[in-house]
Amino acid sequence: MASDGGESKLRTFVVTRFDPDKDQVPKTQSYQVPCRPDWKVLDALNFIKDEIDPTLSHRWSCRMAVCGSCGMNVDGEPKLTCKTSLADYGDTVEIAPLANFPIIRDLVIEMDGFMEKFKAVKPWIIAAKEKAAEEGTYEQSPEQLAAFKQFSMCINCMLCYAACPVVSKEPDFLGPAAIALGHRYNMDSRDEGASERNAVFRGDGTVFHCSYANECSEVCPKNVDPAAAVNQAKLNAVIDWATSFVVKRSR
Amino acid sequence: MARPADPHAMQPSRPGRTRTAPPQVPDDFWTRPRMRTYLLFDATGIVYLLVGLVALRVAWALRDGKAAWDALLASFAHPAYLAFHGLALVCALFVGVRFFRLFPKAQPAHIGPAKPPPRPVLHAMLYAAWIGITLVLLAILGGVWPK
Repeated sequence: MASDGGESKLRTFVVTRFDPDKDQVPKTQSYQVPCRPDWKVLDALNFIKDEIDPTLSHRWSCRMAVCGSCGMNVDGEPKLTCKTSLADYGDTVEIAPLANFPIIRDLVIEMDGFMEKFKAVKPWIIAAKEKAAEEGTYEQSPEQLAAFKQFSMCINCMLCYAACPVVSKEPDFLGPAAIALGHRYNMDSRDEGASERNAVFRGDGTVFHCSYANECSEVCPKNVDPAAAVNQAKLNAVIDWATSFVVKRSR
Repeated sequence: MARPADPHAMQPSRPGRTRTAPPQVPDDFWTRPRMRTYLLFDATGIVYLLVGLVALRVAWALRDGKAAWDALLASFAHPAYLAFHGLALVCALFVGVRFFRLFPKAQPAHIGPAKPPPRPVLHAMLYAAWIGITLVLLAILGGVWPK
């Protein structure tokens, strides 16, 4: 099949299927797809959905690696399917829902557990006293911004949770993205809630579960480097705990 | 393909309205190249445990006098011991390189007013310290320094 993007190639996609009304456990189903050379994995999934099997369920939205919706395990590796070129894969490609997450249907995972972990780290500016509007805006220097900017680039795609060997063994672990987000606010010069978040980090969802496998940073599509955030958060949580004996908290 | 992960992994505290399938992980998760490297890194702990036991044996030999000490030194020439110490050296180098690669980015942007040096400088400092301490130990063990 010829097209603008060059000669199409027939590839086999082995896709995880799960229907909560019928299946007890997930199974796989194979599809033959004529793929153009410039296709991403998401293009093939949309082809399956549009042309072969409309019952296939998968999440996607922006197609430009910004919304974080289309994360899936591609040949066992967590990937944003809109950013993952099929040219990098063989004739058979396995597509599964993100590892370590409950599966709602086919390639769609349950996100509520993730959202609870996010909320637990209080991902908002905590100020001891709100500034009145007439006092003007909060100012921040480029240097102060640089302290956390990298960690604010997270798109919540959850690939890091699918890659983390600890998430699959320690259900209470807050996980890479949530800790990176909490650390992002701790490093924000406008924020005064670091001791509250550090108490969460040291608590049940402890950052100390992290064994620094660095897998989260390896798979992060936005180079957020959550492993750096988690391990910086570990040290900050310890320093915060130690100084709490000698420094009175304002909150 | 895939196998079940911990059924509680990433579960919400309250069940959702839809029945879900338990979390899965790829069958070959632990044998992928990066994970294999990570597991090897962890497994070097076994070698360090054995090195610790050898250190205890050295301490006992020191306690038991010159004959025991000489016998110990002679036993170190055995091929099995040479191979073990070669393995320990490889493990130390492997762990050192991995640790030095990951250590700089684990440093906070600042602790109070103090900031760590730029990462390349930190890398250079770590390797310089490692090489320097190794040279000092070699000089001491070789009887070259102090005179």
